[in-house]
Amino acid sequence: MPPPTFKRRYRDEDEYLPAGSSRPNKKKSKISSKKSNSATPNHNSEDENDLSREALIPRSAVFDIDSLKTSTHVNIPRDSVSKYFGEDDFSYIKLKKDHANRPLWINPTTGHIILEGFSPFAEKAQDFLITISEPVSRPSHIHEYKLTPYSLYAAVSVGLETEAIIDVLKILSKIEIPESIMELIRTCTLSYGKVKLVLKHNRYFVESSYADILQKLLQDKDISEARVVNSEGSDEGFLRNKAPTGKDLIISGKKEQEKETDADGKNKEPETEDDNIFNAVVQIDKEDEEEEEDEVHSFEIKSEKFEVVKKRCIELDYPMLEEYDFRNDSTLPPLDIDLKPITVIRPYQEKCLSKMFGNGRARSGIIVLPCGAGKTLVGITAACTIKKSCLVLCTSAVSVMQWKQQFMTWSNIKESQIAVFTSDMKEKFSGQSGIVISTYSMVANTRTRSYDAGKMMEFITGREWGFILLDEVHVVPANMFRKVVTTIAAHTKLGLTATLVREDDKIGDLNFLIGPKLYEANWMDLASKGHIANVQCAEVWCPMTPEFYAQYLKASSRKRMLLYAMNPNKFQACQYLIRFHEDRGDKIIVFSDNVYALEKYARELKVPFIHGKTKPPERMYILSLFQHDPKVNTIFLSKVGDTSIDLPEATCLIQISSHYGSRRQEAQRLGRILRAKRRNDEGFNAFFYSLVSTDTQEMFYSTKRQQFLIDQGYAFKVITKLEGMDKATDLVYRTHGEQLSLLSDVLLANDHDADLDNDIESNADDLPGVVTSRNFTSQQKGYGGVKRSVGSMKSLSGADDMAYMEFSHGNSSSTKTMKKVDKKTQAKDHHPLFKKQWLRNR
Amino acid sequence: MPTAVTHFKTNIYECLEALPKPTLDQLYKEPATCLAIFRLLPPLARQLVMSLLFTQPISPVNLTQSDLRLWVKNEEEALAKFHEALDKLSKLSIMTTDSSGYIQINSSFRERFQDCLTGGGDHQSFGVSCERPAKDKPDIAFLDRHAMKQWEEILHFMVGTESTRQPSAAVLKVVTRAKLMKEGKDKQLMITNKGFQFLLQDVNTQVWAFLIQYLDIADELLHMNVVEVLNFFFMLGSLELGMDYSVEALTPTQKQLLDDLANFGLAYRRKKGSSRYYPTRLATTLTSGNSAVVSSAVSSSTSTTTGDDGATEQGFIIVETNYKLYAYTESKLQISVLRLFCELQTRFANMVYALITRDSVRKALKHGITANQIISYLTSHAHPQMKKQTPLLPPTVVDQIRLWEMERNRLVATECHLYKEFRNQGDYEMVLRHATNLGFVIWSNAKKRMFSVTEEGHEHVRNYIKKKIAQRKTNGGGEAGSGIGTPNNGSPSVR
Repeated sequence: MPPPTFKRRYRDEDEYLPAGSSRPNKKKSKISSKKSNSATPNHNSEDENDLSREALIPRSAVFDIDSLKTSTHVNIPRDSVSKYFGEDDFSYIKLKKDHANRPLWINPTTGHIILEGFSPFAEKAQDFLITISEPVSRPSHIHEYKLTPYSLYAAVSVGLETEAIIDVLKILSKIEIPESIMELIRTCTLSYGKVKLVLKHNRYFVESSYADILQKLLQDKDISEARVVNSEGSDEGFLRNKAPTGKDLIISGKKEQEKETDADGKNKEPETEDDNIFNAVVQIDKEDEEEEEDEVHSFEIKSEKFEVVKKRCIELDYPMLEEYDFRNDSTLPPLDIDLKPITVIRPYQEKCLSKMFGNGRARSGIIVLPCGAGKTLVGITAACTIKKSCLVLCTSAVSVMQWKQQFMTWSNIKESQIAVFTSDMKEKFSGQSGIVISTYSMVANTRTRSYDAGKMMEFITGREWGFILLDEVHVVPANMFRKVVTTIAAHTKLGLTATLVREDDKIGDLNFLIGPKLYEANWMDLASKGHIANVQCAEVWCPMTPEFYAQYLKASSRKRMLLYAMNPNKFQACQYLIRFHEDRGDKIIVFSDNVYALEKYARELKVPFIHGKTKPPERMYILSLFQHDPKVNTIFLSKVGDTSIDLPEATCLIQISSHYGSRRQEAQRLGRILRAKRRNDEGFNAFFYSLVSTDTQEMFYSTKRQQFLIDQGYAFKVITKLEGMDKATDLVYRTHGEQLSLLSDVLLANDHDADLDNDIESNADDLPGVVTSRNFTSQQKGYGGVKRSVGSMKSLSGADDMAYMEFSHGNSSSTKTMKKVDKKTQAKDHHPLFKKQWLRNR
Repeated sequence: MPTAVTHFKTNIYECLEALPKPTLDQLYKEPATCLAIFRLLPPLARQLVMSLLFTQPISPVNLTQSDLRLWVKNEEEALAKFHEALDKLSKLSIMTTDSSGYIQINSSFRERFQDCLTGGGDHQSFGVSCERPAKDKPDIAFLDRHAMKQWEEILHFMVGTESTRQPSAAVLKVVTRAKLMKEGKDKQLMITNKGFQFLLQDVNTQVWAFLIQYLDIADELLHMNVVEVLNFFFMLGSLELGMDYSVEALTPTQKQLLDDLANFGLAYRRKKGSSRYYPTRLATTLTSGNSAVVSSAVSSSTSTTTGDDGATEQGFIIVETNYKLYAYTESKLQISVLRLFCELQTRFANMVYALITRDSVRKALKHGITANQIISYLTSHAHPQMKKQTPLLPPTVVDQIRLWEMERNRLVATECHLYKEFRNQGDYEMVLRHATNLGFVIWSNAKKRMFSVTEEGHEHVRNYIKKKIAQRKTNGGGEAGSGIGTPNNGSPSVR
């Protein structure tokens, strides 16, 4: 917890906007807010702001691009149609003469970049843009990216320089680069990434290629005090070294290492005459290399003072990047781990890793890959490259076991060196180094632990880790991360995720807690190359029967969910689709968040189902039936199946009830069929159906849920009528009478049944809210010392504020005080990065 | 949109075909008109005319229709064309069959057309050039600019670009009469689906459609002679671009006409009383028959200067699966057209970025623009990149636009009669039961004691009530339900 003076520097975004002033780009913000606020009300935003903003976020990160806008150009109507665009008419910006050859436009007020996907330079431009900006949408022809302070920070941290960014943009842009954009880039990049904190030979060095910046830092009293003054300094008083290179680093698993020693995979294409622009883009890479040849300056700081220096640097607006020179680290015992010789990594996985190990050291950051694209292997390969003790954190006990399994499959690690730490198992690895796999909750737990767990925590916190792998990083609340980051001493942090979206748009904070986003894959690209399956998405409209709709209009919001899930027309559509796809030879997973509907459907259709209360042995049995028994081609899963279940047999997915408007859930579920075994068969398509009852809330949620995938280039076809369903006379609930009796069943059902969250039994291991959209607050229960129990998520994740209020009523006073206490204790912690120092301080 | 084009083209035929024979004969007195009409004919019809034009008078060979039939291949397709040609020619009374079954060419047409082809006669049908050279003759580029400016002003007015000048009275009359626009709620003229269809056409088709409508009002409102007007149109079509012509040779009607046409951008005059006029490309290409060439010629020569829809002909719109629309255009007109069904977002010098949203599409639908029109607009203006893929437009977007349209058609209005103010529940129920048994009831509400019955049921129900009232009166039961149906036309009921 930073002291008060420190805290003032991290402003909430809202403070940037004077009261009453409206955002200039209202139109834009309207669009984005539509996405974010509608489905689940922002009931916990304040609390979360409070906690997450305490993180180490430099000032420029909350930099508001609007403040840069030069008003001189604006508001001059240029012609009769200008006013339709409000302030977004940029036709005054001159086109370059050869604009047709250049692929992009830049919006001067929002930083949006519009890229022609069909331009000959598009591929190069994409590589560049993905480094400096966030992808907004990437369908087939025109892609959109957005420059943000975070993305620029990421760009700098992988070695791009301010002027290089501007130069390349100048080359690629059809229009003159607007002043405001240059200013944004300069503001966000000039001071970032220039200074690195390097741990080398177990000594801390502040390193920079710019001696003057180091001089400037040394003017600061705290920093100069922390400096280790020694004799080997040169004239400027700095140590000079060759800058690190990635030349001799070998990332294991590369196919042909000789051919691709070039870490970035930049096999230069034969240059042709009209390649002028290419050259310029390639030059970024060259500059990268040149820079690597450069000398860097550094000075050593006392290891007990590193934390003070780090803090001061942020205050001086020179946030330090952390790099880990693992090859020169002789203190941490090496771990004997390597990929098995048969393991081959794919080109994009290699690209991820090259971003991470670009200069021969390990950078912390986040890698974004679609579900099924092999995130795990990326993590394992990274661990095999660093070859130090490694801690893996995942969201649930199930995935802990899967990670262990994967480690055994892909690498040659001995089983004795992998330890698992969950509520049920508390293992320690033997020897000096090894791998521990655990869950976020276990590590971030602040409650009194059992003796075993306490011992285990000592084991974890008492040592230094070369590498910490954070799985499904998007679901973890920021404060939990802080907890993890502060209690565990790790040199490198790598976050893995498929969907870097959160309904509360707090994702940016992760960049500063873990590190910048290193790589984000293009879904469509991977699909077209056969790494993930091609998917046909469809939204099937099922009209409500008149009786159901009449009840729907009268019912409470909870009952409504049940009514639209149980709509007989939906039931029939589901049955029809199952039959249709079983006949085609597909294996089908039906997802329902609503357990009542799940059971009803499954029993009616005589299909096995798994939900939260299904016991593990039964689960395993059902899953293996699905995988191996040709007679079992369909299973019903509740949201327990959203993530951790890996079923490459599945080729068709039907969704009958889902969690409000969660874009993430939609993407995660789609992920279940992306790794379909048969994906490389010619003309193979996986199918994703979302059944929606028309004229209900579901329609609205459905549109919202699809947003993420649509931006990735997926298209949802709307099916209003399933061909041939009328003829299938043997479907369930054909008669009016049957429908009415179903209705009365539904009406009799307990309100509780309508809830989506009474499904998963909370396990001490599982991260609350891991499979739901944003019920991160349930986390606070941990802080409040309240024991987790069944139904905890229900009370918090409801779309209605009511549910949340119930919780606050019960615990408001205690939570508040607990939070205060919590802050106090944390205030003493001083953000130690490594446990060793932290222990010493104490 | 081949279908749409032919639709408007045939309008010229239709218009000519509708004219009575004497008027046509009048028309054929002008060689220029003969030439123009000849050019508008289908190729086979032209062939027939040319073959017969000079042969007949010299050697009075009499040919019957079956003789002509021998000239064409004996194939179904060819014969169909042949009959179509004959049909056209006879409707325009260029070629008639006399009582003995022989083919005759309209004598007036033959003479004038021969004159026209041989350069004989002393007619002034092809315009009279000015003798004195003009002092500062406008160049072709200037004329093109003038033409596009005037014409686009009309189109801008139609799409509702604000701050465009109120167009002339003639334009207003044409657009309202042709139902290209109609008055909305606030007395403002709004574009209709016909108007939107109009916008989808190429320039040449638009001009013709407009002129034909003009012809209509010329006859009725301006009391002009149709023959003179048509002659003038056709004459304009035969003039040479960039040349100046004398106003003196025109009839008073034609002089009046010239003012309006100058207003539409078909001709240019330095000032109102000027003694010379210059036809623009819009006019000179009227009868050239190849509309695509025309408009691209017009636009390519002007695109650099006026920012006209140069890209229009190649297609400039990219629609993505995420409902984003990127239009490579600088044309204010195209932007205004997009605004009819998109939410405009950002504009760069050569590109406009817009969103297709439910609201924006519904707005267009409300104006009567149909989903199909929007889709065909997007299709016909699709960017070459889009044309590489099949289907051309993302099917999801197309489907969605259609669904948004269907969404509006979910309410079906049924004519019905409302019965209300029953004195007591018993009466209400009695009448309702009766009506229900006969299957006439559309809607009922017991609490309000109201129900409505279908059109055909009204009579029955009313009679039933009357009968009941009469019964009660005779029974002395005085107080009967005064359930008099209040006709409530078009009260909607959900299907």
